[in-house]
Amino acid sequence: MTSRVMRDFDLLLPESVAEVVDLLTRHKNNAAILAGGTDLLIALKFDYAVDNVISLALVPGLAELTFDPEKGLVIGARVTIADILKSPEVRENYPALWQAAKVFATPQLRNTATVLGNVLRASPAGDCSLALLALGGSVLLKNSRGEREVDIDNFWISYGVTARQDDELAMAFKIPPPAAGQKSAFRRMTRTTEDLSKISAAVSLQMGGGTCQTARVAMGCVGPTLVRLPGVEKILEGAEISPEVLQEIVAATAAEINPIDDKRSSAEYRLKVAGVLVKRVIGQALDNGGNN
Amino acid sequence: MGEFEVVGKKVERVDVRAKVTGGALYAADVQMAGMLYGKIVRCYDYAHAKVTGLDLTEAAKCKGVIRVLGPDDVTRKEYNASVLDMMVSTDMRGVLGDIDDQNIFTDHVKHYGDAIAAIIATSEEAAERAAEKVRVSYEELPVYLTAEASKQPDALQFRPEKPGNLAFQLPEMAFPDNCYAWGDVDKSFEDADIIVEDTFYVPKQKQCQMEPGSYIALYDDQGRLNCWTSTQMPKLVQKKLANLFELPMTRVKINQTVIGGGFGARLGMVLEPETCALAMAVPGRPVKLLSTREEDWVTSPSRHPGKYWMRMGFKKDGTPVACDARFENYKGAYYVDASGTAFTTGAWLGGMYKFDSLRYHGESYYTNQSICGAFRGYGNPQTNFVMEQLIDRGCAELGVDPIEWRKKWHKTVGDDGWCMGVPYNSCALDECLDRAAEAIGWAEKREKYKHQTGTVRRGIGVAVMNHTSGAMPMLLEHTVCDVLLHQDATATLNLACSDMGQGSHTTLRQVAAETLGFPYEDIHIATGNSDAAGFDIGAHASRTLYVGGGAVKQACEDARRQLFERAALELEESVDNLYMEDKIIHVKGASNKSISVETITDQGVNNFMNPETGERIGQPGQIQGYASFFPPHNAPPFGTTIAEVEVDTETGEVRVLELVNAHDVGKAIHPGVVEGQLDGGAQQGLGMVLTEETYYDDKGICQNNSFTDYKMFGPSDMPKMTNILVENADPTGPFGAKGVGEAGLVPPVGATANAIFNAIGIQILEAPITPEKVLRAIEEKGDII
Ligand SMILES: Cc1cc2nc3c(=O)[nH]c(=O)nc-3n(C[C@H](O)[C@H](O)[C@H](O)COP(=O)(O)OP(=O)(O)OC[C@H]3O[C@@H](n4cnc5c(N)ncnc54)[C@H](O)[C@@H]3O)c2cc1C
Repeated sequence: MTSRVMRDFDLLLPESVAEVVDLLTRHKNNAAILAGGTDLLIALKFDYAVDNVISLALVPGLAELTFDPEKGLVIGARVTIADILKSPEVRENYPALWQAAKVFATPQLRNTATVLGNVLRASPAGDCSLALLALGGSVLLKNSRGEREVDIDNFWISYGVTARQDDELAMAFKIPPPAAGQKSAFRRMTRTTEDLSKISAAVSLQMGGGTCQTARVAMGCVGPTLVRLPGVEKILEGAEISPEVLQEIVAATAAEINPIDDKRSSAEYRLKVAGVLVKRVIGQALDNGGNN
Repeated sequence: MGEFEVVGKKVERVDVRAKVTGGALYAADVQMAGMLYGKIVRCYDYAHAKVTGLDLTEAAKCKGVIRVLGPDDVTRKEYNASVLDMMVSTDMRGVLGDIDDQNIFTDHVKHYGDAIAAIIATSEEAAERAAEKVRVSYEELPVYLTAEASKQPDALQFRPEKPGNLAFQLPEMAFPDNCYAWGDVDKSFEDADIIVEDTFYVPKQKQCQMEPGSYIALYDDQGRLNCWTSTQMPKLVQKKLANLFELPMTRVKINQTVIGGGFGARLGMVLEPETCALAMAVPGRPVKLLSTREEDWVTSPSRHPGKYWMRMGFKKDGTPVACDARFENYKGAYYVDASGTAFTTGAWLGGMYKFDSLRYHGESYYTNQSICGAFRGYGNPQTNFVMEQLIDRGCAELGVDPIEWRKKWHKTVGDDGWCMGVPYNSCALDECLDRAAEAIGWAEKREKYKHQTGTVRRGIGVAVMNHTSGAMPMLLEHTVCDVLLHQDATATLNLACSDMGQGSHTTLRQVAAETLGFPYEDIHIATGNSDAAGFDIGAHASRTLYVGGGAVKQACEDARRQLFERAALELEESVDNLYMEDKIIHVKGASNKSISVETITDQGVNNFMNPETGERIGQPGQIQGYASFFPPHNAPPFGTTIAEVEVDTETGEVRVLELVNAHDVGKAIHPGVVEGQLDGGAQQGLGMVLTEETYYDDKGICQNNSFTDYKMFGPSDMPKMTNILVENADPTGPFGAKGVGEAGLVPPVGATANAIFNAIGIQILEAPITPEKVLRAIEEKGDII
């Protein structure tokens, strides 16, 4: 049961990255980073107890969303979902991410919630996270000893658990520049429009001469973390994407996922529609990026 | 039309300015000096258990705690939070078998969230922290979530006076063979060429009103119990609290705060008994009690869920010969509205079609679910889901158009209404059906959708409904109103009618203005003070405009009569020879003979003698109109919805593309208010049929008592929607108006289910119709269409 009363904690308001790192070094797992707070404050009302909450609100330099055709996209820790939606470069170069932002929650939430918060939450229902997994990239982490980058393929360990150490601040997410012929898309199913995903899929396909060169296919809500579907990727790679290939993918998808029954849907249903969803998200990616 | 000055106009609503600017004062906003805060300790570990130990000592030691209260620290008198028992005669109460079976705090937990004890502290935080320190031990009992389970012979008995856990069935004395019936059903079925039959499930839908339960109570130094609450039934709650705490009504005062939505969730008492019990433990200090959403969900009533079986027979020519039905609802832990919905669900069924014979059984079984009670529609949406799907199945087998069949066989003027023996006195359902069919392109679409291929299929479906304006003659219908004319010729209405957002204070004010012949701006409506207002049932059964409006009209006619009588004396003319225009009373045909209303009202209050003659100037006495009004009928509203949907046969997802709602509203006193009711009703109807249901795990732990996992239709889920208001004046309604508060919710339920049937040729028997169920049904059927 929830409460009308927020638990007691110290709200810390550092004004530089160095200060944040300092506080993390000091408090370790007795501190949580507060970005948009749309996950954190709910967790604090239920069973998550920390004595220190470190807000990023006053930390400069983390709110940048920068695109460089050579280096790719850098999403700072304070970049919100609404910022993603406002970026023509994201829309043009990374349709999957833009589409995930478009259906994400409500305007109020989009103005508050951050992309990095979504990644750090490590939920199998994270929408922007799923797009990032399909697009590929890495999380930039920083602690008192220095910085490191963790590939998104290795970042989520299990439900709610990431490769981030207690004393690390996630500074940014980096996506490589889009390859020539890269197409991507995101698609989800929900109980009502404003809801968390009950099943979701995202793809990034590098198309050349009518065939698919490389493919990253990712699904949400079909296991404890977001997952890639290597079997489906293998079918795609080197193939012309014909109705027959899509039919093969529909059949292959169910074998690659391990969904459960929960409040948003049943394992049975997820297994039935997963292939359809993957087929449709591929079609959406090929259809002009599906931004319309 | 031009016949009215204020009625029929979209005047500014009395409530919205404050609501949209944040000025409206809800109970949670009310602050008082010295206020204390309550927190109820509830059982969230079990749905059925005996309390074997309660230790409040640690909680009592917590900082800020003023009192800790267990079951023996408050009245142990049992009560029934519903008010239905106050709307029938004492004899009828006995016949119905209504019982009091609730305690303020219990040592026998019967549902998830049942109340065990309470804390009173100096802050909300302190109360909640202390509540966490209360230690309760339990002995777990078997959990019965369904009627099927609780009626088993070896099941534990919830109440000794209700054997078999049968809280209610239609009583033999009023309903021979415990059924609501006419004709000989078994014999009629022998005449049937076609029989359709199935068992359906209707879900536990929640009202989801925006404002969770919020209350304040103060037992003051005059020994009066004051309660601030957004109840929809202030006068009945006043009497209920007086009974529970054994006080005269003069010592119980309800201060009704702005209601943040009701939909039936505030019909009767919710946490008023608990709040008042806390206040009585700390005389002189106001105590505030605020529910969390999760708490409100399991302490306020929901719609009645349950199994609904129905069988219908038709002759080849379409004649409906027989209908047999049984609704076994999963009543929940306490009696509350056990009798009401079990009856009305059948009443709406009986009120719809001209079956040669009909038999309906309605039974309420205790279960370990949270309580069921009133919810907009009161049994009608359940019947609509079942009855309308079976009618369409019958039509499909007969090969007839569902609209044509309905036009031929629905009940109309002169036929027995939902209450046998009370015939319908007005009905414009045919016009509703014709205009809705025209607006959506029924005939073309029905034809077009017969020939579809591909994975996405469209369908179009219709449903109709009858409802009521007030619950007469089954229940008491009575509203008292007085209208006071001030010396400046403005008027204050004083009554207890509730506006829970449905716009009733606006429409009542319009009725007053029209009747008095005053501008809308000259009327003030004073409500919310149970000391001042006379009796009123409260807001339920789409009655407020019909019955409350009837009272307002009668009181204003009384005031207007007095004005005319005084004008007649002053002008030395007969009343018949006078007319009013712009608040001036003129003599017909004599343009120079007139007196202003303000002269009359002013002289009535500021009445002086002429010093020279010693005679009074004008007529003395402040004018007050009064009515204690009992409506003559229940002015039945009728309505239809036609829904168009798209079904994705690969995922089972249903998208509602369009709704056309056409309703026989009698007269739209405020068209915007009427359309608002139809829009909001449709949103809840679509939710009931497609997405909404409160559910439990095997242990009876509620799984979705919040908006995280209970999904309502949001703005972006709503289809294109058209409302058609058919104005066919009811002979008994104020200015011809009928009730419209509930009607809008009902036919979208059946129409959407029927549109799905039209799209894929399958009827889904369990609501809500989720993609999971649709996809499974499609797979089971194999080849679609
Ligand atoms: C009503 C509602 C609707 C929602 N709808 C959706 C939806 O449609 N799709 C969806 O994917 N999600 C949804 N969410 C979930 C949530 O909004 C997202 O996961 C959001 O992206 C979280 O971002 P945030 O900035 O609010 O994170 P926060 O709550 O601030 O943080 C989330 C977690 O990440 C940690 N963290 C955040 N930033 C950092 C950092 N820089 N370094 C280290 N740790 C960090 C925090 O400590 C915390 O544990 C919804 C939530 C709500 C309340």
